Amino acid sequence: MTEPLLRADKLTKHFVTPRTGQTVRAVNGVSFEMFAGQTVGMVGESGSGKSTVGRMVVRLLKPTQGSVTFRGRDIAPLRDRAVRALRSDLQMVFQDPWSALNPRMRVKRIIQEPLLLHSKLSDSERSDRVEEIARSVRLNTDLLTRFPGELSGGQLQRVCIARAIATSPGLIVLDEPTSSLDLSVRAGILDLLQELREETGAAMLFISHDLGTVRLVSDHILVLYLGHIVESGPMAKVFDEPAHPYTQTLLSAHLPADPRTQLHRHLLEGEIPSPIDMPPGCPFSTRCPLVRDECRTALPPMVDIGDGAQRAACIRIREGSNQVPL
Amino acid sequence: MSLLQVRDLHTHFISRNLDNEIRVAKALNGVSFEVSRGEVLGLVGETGAGKSLTAYSVMDLLKPPAKVVGGTVEFDGRNLRDLEAEDMNKLRGSEIAMVVQNPRSSLDPLTRVGEQLIRVHTAHTDTSESAARARAIEKLGAVGIPAPEQRMRAWPHELSGGMAQRVLIAMALMNEPKLIIADEPTTGLDVTVQAQILDLLRELVVTHNVAAMVITHDLGIVAHYCNRMAVMFAGRIVETGDVETVFDNPSHPYTRTLIASTPERLKEGKQKVLGGGAPPNLYNLPPGCHYVERCRFADESCNKPLSLDQVGDGHFAMCTRLDAVREGWPS
Amino acid sequence: MADLALDGAPKERSTIEKVWGKVVGISRRSPTSIIGFVIILFFGFLALLAPLLMPYDPIAANPNLILSGPSAAHWFGTDGNGMDVFSRVIFGSRFAFGIAIPVVIIALSIGIPIGLYSGYKGGNIDEAIMRVVDAFRVFPSIILALAVVAAAGPSLLNVVLVIGILDAPIFVRVVRAEVLALRSSSFVESGLIVGNPTWRILFVHLLPNAIQGAMAQTAVRAAWAVRISATLAFLGIGIQPPTPEWGAMIRQGAEFMVNGQWWVGIFPGVALILMVLGFNMFGDGLQDLLDPKRRSGGK
Repeated sequence: MTEPLLRADKLTKHFVTPRTGQTVRAVNGVSFEMFAGQTVGMVGESGSGKSTVGRMVVRLLKPTQGSVTFRGRDIAPLRDRAVRALRSDLQMVFQDPWSALNPRMRVKRIIQEPLLLHSKLSDSERSDRVEEIARSVRLNTDLLTRFPGELSGGQLQRVCIARAIATSPGLIVLDEPTSSLDLSVRAGILDLLQELREETGAAMLFISHDLGTVRLVSDHILVLYLGHIVESGPMAKVFDEPAHPYTQTLLSAHLPADPRTQLHRHLLEGEIPSPIDMPPGCPFSTRCPLVRDECRTALPPMVDIGDGAQRAACIRIREGSNQVPL
Repeated sequence: MSLLQVRDLHTHFISRNLDNEIRVAKALNGVSFEVSRGEVLGLVGETGAGKSLTAYSVMDLLKPPAKVVGGTVEFDGRNLRDLEAEDMNKLRGSEIAMVVQNPRSSLDPLTRVGEQLIRVHTAHTDTSESAARARAIEKLGAVGIPAPEQRMRAWPHELSGGMAQRVLIAMALMNEPKLIIADEPTTGLDVTVQAQILDLLRELVVTHNVAAMVITHDLGIVAHYCNRMAVMFAGRIVETGDVETVFDNPSHPYTRTLIASTPERLKEGKQKVLGGGAPPNLYNLPPGCHYVERCRFADESCNKPLSLDQVGDGHFAMCTRLDAVREGWPS
Repeated sequence: MADLALDGAPKERSTIEKVWGKVVGISRRSPTSIIGFVIILFFGFLALLAPLLMPYDPIAANPNLILSGPSAAHWFGTDGNGMDVFSRVIFGSRFAFGIAIPVVIIALSIGIPIGLYSGYKGGNIDEAIMRVVDAFRVFPSIILALAVVAAAGPSLLNVVLVIGILDAPIFVRVVRAEVLALRSSSFVESGLIVGNPTWRILFVHLLPNAIQGAMAQTAVRAAWAVRISATLAFLGIGIQPPTPEWGAMIRQGAEFMVNGQWWVGIFPGVALILMVLGFNMFGDGLQDLLDPKRRSGGK
């Protein structure tokens, strides 16, 4: 078995709110692995902690507990200076391309900044490399002399991606990279990501609340709920045979953009509890249609389903009564 | 007979820049559509296409420098553009109700939920306070809020996003409106909550026989919750028809691109979508078709004035190159 | 193409039309700023061409013409030393600019880095810096200035340094507020993710985006510098007579005012008021143009 590129082990992040001093349990013991060249989709609704996990993986945030082993080294306890040295190998693309770029910097300077910080290229070599990168993200090189304010959303996101791939990182975290873009623009970006994955061989952690998009790009899926992974597995398996009741309801609430698909809906009552006031036991127990008393007391462990590629955290799986009725 | 008929609506942003030049951004350029009771019209389009602006123009809620400069808005037999401001005020919130994005920010944070509901009703009718209160409780129950009597005393900040949106819908229902305009009603809500809100909205259309217009950029919502759809591009409706008809047989190249860009279509087809591109400059629109710069099928004929032409039963599109598009579109 | 959206609908205009259009455009938005600008321009012109405009040497005493009223030979009369008030008022504009400009530069170069750092780091460091800034703010700056200048000695250099340092907290506050607003926007996070060290985040990424508010304040702060330096001189702590500095001249003139020799003090006083007014009016306009949000949001 090959060593994973990244292994997150019991990642936990708790924030303390400045005014009230309450503890926000954003992420609670998340463990997963990523292999080179793999695209992992992380889905969850707001408050599921998916962005926080992404930021811990690239060490924009320091985990409260747990480890992030990247290329065999635990990067969780590293200091800022050591983290900076990792940046050429560990990149991130943010949700909102309008605010992710310095409005006072020309596109060319934005794309070459990582090269300036991490490579010893001469000025002319760097210029050549910037043009090469711009072409690889299908960004018109005329735009290199423009400011971000002069570009459209899709062009801006291409600049963000160009900057992220400039130093050929081994892992890129993409936090909702297409959710603020218009539909037709979104398709172009997804297409580009597919292409770059084949070209660069970078592993990608694709964070999104949009199941349709995740399904399109991912090999493997992680489903988050209230800072816990409730289900993980190969994309097709999770989509076709979701095991956890939450995954089932989440998938059933998705609206495919096709009026002829039949919806099989499990309507869910209520809303996600606050991560300040976490329910004891299974995080989904407050809304789960299959809830039992024991769900409310102890956190269910992840159990293997079939050959073990797919796993979910629900006590009903062993007895096979985990299907939410329609 | 349609409840709302909008004909050739034009809205411009008129301003002066620092160089003291008058600048006109033509945001709506002849929007025409209609909505009938018992149906949901989905208005789709990209950011800046003029979806919300259409709603605000219909409701006469524009703030300068935006101004309606042409067209008619006929609602229930009256041309709303001829109404006095006072009469329009009466109409808003009673006969036409609006449900907006970010529900929490559209509730008054310093007034209890129940009080706000009651006010909406007493402002438009001569009902007594107690009758209005009973009605408010009834409506809160109707939108699926548990324990409505207790919820009347809730403050807006105590509501979750989904609850706040339900309260807003309850508020929209207080005066039994004939038309509900919902502007991105579920953007920012989670998918599991989104389904609850949309189910509620559709149910109301059926049970109360109201007309609804849903503004969204999500084709999934249109596909499953709307009867008819209108696709907007740069201040015009470029295609309209029954949802199934349009999805099965999109005619305008922009509609085709939109539908081909959905994850579902991308998943099944291997064809590349080449639809992206910047929205046209509203200060300097092309003379004919606004999509011309992004269209692969454009020729000289696209520079002539266009109209929404019938392409099928209740199905209209604004394109002179329909034949070329049909033949040339990769299948 | 957002740039097209901004500059679209091209219409041929001559250069004169464009410049005039800009002037009318700005004056529609903020007519006072144009007046203020003209006043500053006028004083700038006086300061630059002072040697050509002054009919007499501003510090040449004429013992035969002490305290003579305005006349054709001495438009603003002469002072207690027999020096020509008109020439002294003109020369005084050099002192006004010579104090205002370096004071603002000193205040900016202290205030901006501290404001950037404080806003970006947050936490206890920010808390400590802001307490110091507050302390400066609640303590009347004129008294502080008086004490420090009195202790350090009343030279022009000392006055400029002290006023400049006293004014820095204003820029700390303005820049810090701007940084706080920017800190949450993800371009700072983007700067971190590509591996920028803190100094680059502060000066390459934050500074160009956080400086508008500070720039908008400069003219108002210049007015304040002119005013407070004149006050110091008037109180006898700053620049000393017979230096042709307006504050010092007003101090001298005040003594003669009671005897009816009004011209010694009134003319430099009017010049001072006019210049402070000019800077303030221009400053208001500058804030409207550079920083419209902050103004309309109230202070």
